[in-house]
Amino acid sequence: MIRSMDVRKRGNKLGFWFFRTALKLTGLSGAYGLLYIVCLYYLLFDRTAVSASMAYVNRRFKGFSSVRKYQAVYRLFISQGRSLIDRYYVVSGLGRFDIELRGYDRIKRLLDDSKKGIILLTAHVGNWQVTMTALEKLGKTVYLLMSPEENAAVKESLNIDSGNEKVKIISPDNFLGGVIEIMKAIDEGSIVSIMGDRSYGHSTSEVVLLGDRAYFPQSAFSIAAAAGCPVVVLLSAKVSTRKYFLDVSHVMEPRYSSRVKKKEEMEGFIQEYAGVLEDYSAEYPYQWFLFHDIWKGEN
Amino acid sequence: MQSNEAQDLAGIKKKLKELLVEDLSLEDIKPEEIGDNEILFGEGLGLDSLDAVEIVVILQRKFGLEVKDLENRKDVFYSIDSLAKYIYENKKKDA
Repeated sequence: MIRSMDVRKRGNKLGFWFFRTALKLTGLSGAYGLLYIVCLYYLLFDRTAVSASMAYVNRRFKGFSSVRKYQAVYRLFISQGRSLIDRYYVVSGLGRFDIELRGYDRIKRLLDDSKKGIILLTAHVGNWQVTMTALEKLGKTVYLLMSPEENAAVKESLNIDSGNEKVKIISPDNFLGGVIEIMKAIDEGSIVSIMGDRSYGHSTSEVVLLGDRAYFPQSAFSIAAAAGCPVVVLLSAKVSTRKYFLDVSHVMEPRYSSRVKKKEEMEGFIQEYAGVLEDYSAEYPYQWFLFHDIWKGEN
Repeated sequence: MQSNEAQDLAGIKKKLKELLVEDLSLEDIKPEEIGDNEILFGEGLGLDSLDAVEIVVILQRKFGLEVKDLENRKDVFYSIDSLAKYIYENKKKDA
């Protein structure tokens, strides 16, 4: 989810105005250019942001020297900046991106063949807010499990959590983490989008990720197993200035054979998901915006 | 009439406790040890949101109730007693 503590603390109205103006006057390339200066400032003076990135960078770029790891952090900051600019570019109606959609037929068939909905498992990769628009043609209501954005500047500029008739928000702060609303949405044949690479304090399972033990949330898998619906992994990445891909081809059917084996079998699915993200980071190392230490136990 | 209702409720509570222990894999707890008014989530029995998913499934599959009716019904999930009353009233409506 883009609502990270870092974005909330750092975004302000002046900053967004600056980028908006650059975008309108100089287009995407000009706005991207500004990022090199802004991100350098964060690299040099924002220790919290740098150290938040290091958990991922240290594991993904193991053999790198310290200098190269800082370069990797810099590239990550720039890459996330581009993603936010792209988001604003679409939200403000300045333009659109080409989105190559992979796996659409399968997801369509899943929804057509069953009365139940699906869980769309997203992660802090690429730009799901921009690319998910390609799924509008499914004609299904999408429920996003996310907390309301608290930063007024981010909310206003990036339109993070505003729902409409086809996109609705379920807050994890609702009673029982919103599971009643989630179960209802699945029962009605809708799509529920849940973030799979950060637990936000909910129950986690241990996985091996980039060579170390990490902790991924169980919720999407446990809910899918209970509701009898599939989990569709959603990946996206920016492949050129004006093009993204959206991949929904990896489908899992989390089920367990018995109560006794439930924990073990669920962990197998969560590990499979960790493997999918590891493959993604091998190909797009600078598009996994993991500014949180998921290798440190949290439950 | 009153005793029938009390009997039905007692039966639902007994079944609920058995299902909770079995389906939620509650270790070291016997069904009869769960109090009728014990708080289910957080303090008390200490269930969490993922256990709530299983409870919703129990209500759907074992008692034929619909999840859409449970939205905004925080009160239903308070205890075995509140769950049993909800099941009793809603099954009666269907009958």
